[in-house]
Amino acid sequence: MRRVVLLALALSLQTGVAAAQEMRPFTTFRQLHGETRLHASLEYAAGALRVAPGRPTELYRMDLAFDGERFAPISDYDAARNAVSLGLRRGGTGGVRVVSRGQLQQSANIAFAPSTELDLALNLGAVDADLELGGLRLASLDLQTGASRSVVRFSRPNATRCRSAELTSGAAELSVVGLGNSRCDRVVVEGGVGSVTLDFGGTWSSSARVNVRMAMGQLTLRLPRRLGVRVTMDKFLSSFDPAGMVRQGNTFTTPGYDRAERTLDLEVTAAMGGVRVEWLEGGGEKE
Amino acid sequence: MRARSAVAALLLLGAALPTTAAASPGSFPSGSNAAELVRNFWDFVAQGDDDRRAAHPKPQAIEQAPDGGPAVDLSDLSQPTALEARLKPALTPKSGPIRLTVPGGTARLGDFSVGSTESVTGPLLVVQGDADIYGRLLGNLVTVDGDVIVHPGGLVTGDILALGGDVRDLGGEIGGEIRTLRSTTIFAQPAAAAEPPPNALETVFRRLAGVIGVFLTLAALGFGLVTFGRPNLEVVSDTVSHSFGRAFSTGLLGQILLLPTFGMLVVGLILSVAGILLLPFAVVVYGLLVVVGALGGFLAVAHAMGETYIRRRLALGAVLGSPNSYRYLTVGLGALASLWLAWAVFGWVPVAGDLIRGAAFLVTWLLATTGFGAALLSRAGIRENFAGRLIPPEALTDEYLWATPQFGVPAARRPGGTRTPTRGL
Repeated sequence: MRRVVLLALALSLQTGVAAAQEMRPFTTFRQLHGETRLHASLEYAAGALRVAPGRPTELYRMDLAFDGERFAPISDYDAARNAVSLGLRRGGTGGVRVVSRGQLQQSANIAFAPSTELDLALNLGAVDADLELGGLRLASLDLQTGASRSVVRFSRPNATRCRSAELTSGAAELSVVGLGNSRCDRVVVEGGVGSVTLDFGGTWSSSARVNVRMAMGQLTLRLPRRLGVRVTMDKFLSSFDPAGMVRQGNTFTTPGYDRAERTLDLEVTAAMGGVRVEWLEGGGEKE
Repeated sequence: MRARSAVAALLLLGAALPTTAAASPGSFPSGSNAAELVRNFWDFVAQGDDDRRAAHPKPQAIEQAPDGGPAVDLSDLSQPTALEARLKPALTPKSGPIRLTVPGGTARLGDFSVGSTESVTGPLLVVQGDADIYGRLLGNLVTVDGDVIVHPGGLVTGDILALGGDVRDLGGEIGGEIRTLRSTTIFAQPAAAAEPPPNALETVFRRLAGVIGVFLTLAALGFGLVTFGRPNLEVVSDTVSHSFGRAFSTGLLGQILLLPTFGMLVVGLILSVAGILLLPFAVVVYGLLVVVGALGGFLAVAHAMGETYIRRRLALGAVLGSPNSYRYLTVGLGALASLWLAWAVFGWVPVAGDLIRGAAFLVTWLLATTGFGAALLSRAGIRENFAGRLIPPEALTDEYLWATPQFGVPAARRPGGTRTPTRGL
């Protein structure tokens, strides 16, 4: 009986402490003064993160709620380089807080001007990230995630040509949806431990090369049927289901690859885990 | 008519209201009187909705600190929390007015505005007031406990930081970055000083009140139990009286097995898939059963104590009122309370107080454990196996005893077995 009472007391005290966690709201933005290019660097240690296109009158905006005892906001614009650093880094004197995901209420909404060419670099820690990059003028993307769950979406076509997208995930779950809309000439994905889903749906305006390196985990490739796809597979202790592709050595091609107007060349290196192919019909519907 | 009233009100306000936040006469020329009048009017209207604004101190310049005094550089606003930490000691002096140096800039207390024809050069700090920018500010702007309002035509070439306020861009131009930290700890009230410890008399009264309150609550619950569950209470009480050791052992074992049983219940329900739906109810019911078992058992112990005491008094020829369960319970709870009352009265005595408290706790735990065990043994007063009731109540009637020999040769010859009639064994 005493144990139950003590347990209940401890739980109630813990709840009280957790409830006392005070979030500080912080906002930063900059008016658009005709800038045509922006180098944005996002460092976000922990919490929920949303990135999306913003207002046309603002170069960028970040609305943040953070734990003032343990974190400090980053907000620094360098006019000479047209570069901005945004996000949240560990700091303060509060020590380490052990809380459940539900109690970690830090959140950030970051928006960029849809008319400015954007070089975006993100470094994410323990983050639940939803990055909507469709509708931006994304010139390059560099995403590095730690123990996070990230979804990168290109719901609308990129307004400019993207030189490259480099996505590196640690012990993470990473999904990239609508890569066809990204208009990236080169895509490099490095997966550590966890699962990576690459959805190549969207509007393809040109051919593309994608390089995927998976250490340990599940890789899911969602490929549009109308696209000519060639997969060059280098695997070790990994399974691969070609799902209707024709095999020639380590290369797997779709039947109409040579005649296809747009082609997608995938080089996949998988150490341990599995590679699965799912086919998308028409505009990106999964089969 | 309405227009005339409005004009009259405007004129009246213009005459009556204090001028806002204008720049200091020497350094910042003010705008036209008409504009000032209109602004005062809208400020007055806004005051009705904004208590915080009304609480702003009278606009004034913050004096520069003497050499070696507090100085805060506002040239870099990229780390708002660090700047906040630097501003806090400077803006909350232990004594005297605020004195602060802003290198190359200006510091103001209360509302402040830059008129449309004015131009301010260098960083500007506005403390406990709003900064209204109609003109040009060539530098950074920081407000503490106040808003920044950039009006149409207004210009701020540098960054803006509002600590404990907001930035409202009504159509002006801001060359730098806008940052808002809506809550600030700079003027947060320090935590209330700890109350002085109560003296011995206060402690005694507080503890007495606590003990009396707890036992009155127990008495109320006990009376309810007597009224609505008397047979069960009596069975548990008799189990305590007749099987004290067994009840204590069972209670001890029950306490040890409480958590494992709970774990098994949860795991079992989860594994049975369909039982997952019942899980929340099962958890609640389990908790309630434990509380009812422990509380009911404790009250049954009190009942048993009272009953034993009163029966002994009656046996000695004492004249008491009707010996019923209410009386048993009252007497038993009084006895149990006496230990805690002793602690309440003498608990402040150095060593003895701790000993009394330890004894009270030990005895209470012992009796509660016994009560809990008795409740388990008797299945909450349903089974009488350990209650010492070897002969069923109906066997004790005169008719039954006359017609049915209980002992001796006739009883032994009676067909149907040789056992003494019992119930539940």
